[in-house]
Amino acid sequence: MEIIYVLFNIAVLALIANIGLALYGVFTRPSLVKKIIALTIFSDTINLMVVLIGFRHAEPNPVPPILISIPPIKEDIITFMQKAVDPLPQALVLTAIVIGLAVILYLIFLTIQIYRIYGTTDVRKIAKLKG
Amino acid sequence: MKSRMHAAILATIIIIVVVLAMAFALKGIALYIPPRNVRTLAEIFLNTTFNQWVNISAMAPEAVTAIVWDYRGLDTLFETSVMFIAIVGALTLSRGVGEKLFISGASEAGGLSVIVKTITRIILVMISAVGASIALHGHLTPGGGFQGGATIAVAPMILIVTFSVYFIVKRISIKKAVLLRSAGLGVIALSSFIVLIVALFKGGIAYIFQNQVKMFSPYSVPSYIGDSLVIGGTLLLFNAAETFAVAFGFIALLILITLPEEQFRKIILESEE
Repeated sequence: MEIIYVLFNIAVLALIANIGLALYGVFTRPSLVKKIIALTIFSDTINLMVVLIGFRHAEPNPVPPILISIPPIKEDIITFMQKAVDPLPQALVLTAIVIGLAVILYLIFLTIQIYRIYGTTDVRKIAKLKG
Repeated sequence: MKSRMHAAILATIIIIVVVLAMAFALKGIALYIPPRNVRTLAEIFLNTTFNQWVNISAMAPEAVTAIVWDYRGLDTLFETSVMFIAIVGALTLSRGVGEKLFISGASEAGGLSVIVKTITRIILVMISAVGASIALHGHLTPGGGFQGGATIAVAPMILIVTFSVYFIVKRISIKKAVLLRSAGLGVIALSSFIVLIVALFKGGIAYIFQNQVKMFSPYSVPSYIGDSLVIGGTLLLFNAAETFAVAFGFIALLILITLPEEQFRKIILESEE
């Protein structure tokens, strides 16, 4: 059982390292396209972390928050409450993903528009443009 | 100067990562172990999502969809409008070039070979079926309007790549896509009033975004028919309308992104002079 916890912690640390990597990409890469790629890595990592907050320990394993028997009797609901993971972070992440997708499509459109008109995606050149 | 800035940025990131790691671990060097219990709020959601013995139940077996469209329905409505605003922003940035470009009459010829086009035609049906299945089973299995819509939006992207952007604009123009997207949003807004309208005709009271029986309000949309056919009250309606809205919203954005570059630049620069 201990080795599972160690692996779980390695996954958490990898997520945190991923945040650092993504922030490095957003801050230091001059290309707007690479900035957007780093931003998607950042938002996906944060989403995964939020889902991880709702995770729980259950024997033998936690179940997704879906009731199988319809209509459920009272025992079903009690087992469900003891085993199911937290549904609220999943609902919030679901909406965050869609908004993120729309905002990233907008950012991509902005970048393409800049490239179409000025012929560059380098922020150092874009900052010097007049007009 | 430049290397010093890089070093400063790196140091900041390292500090952020270390602080986050400590905050996440909370107990110094102890291992992070998932807790045995969920929060009280989560217990309330899990208890009331499909429970005929409490009077605030959403009567839907899938807790995530129940939260998205019942417990926090108003939230989701405004969040859908955020996506609408992103589309409107992209339309504003394009300065109407999408309309001007396609009036000037471009050919549908071009695209990839016949083999790829035929396979695309077959796969389109499959993608739409998978998307519809994800969306319409949203109250039973993981999935829902957003995921189904995003899946269906893959189909026009493949169409644009294998045929051409003119091919798809001949069938669905940007204006029509945005119109259908607004129609989907309108259906969502209307279906949040269904129970209220029925209750007002019967002389009772109800709430906006009401799905099942609430305190002081005995009106509801039936949650399941017979023994096992679950329709999930208004959740099915919301999921279907949301699929429609998300799919057409992405179609509009994808067309805007893939507009041909040279003609685009020509039209924009001409209008500036």
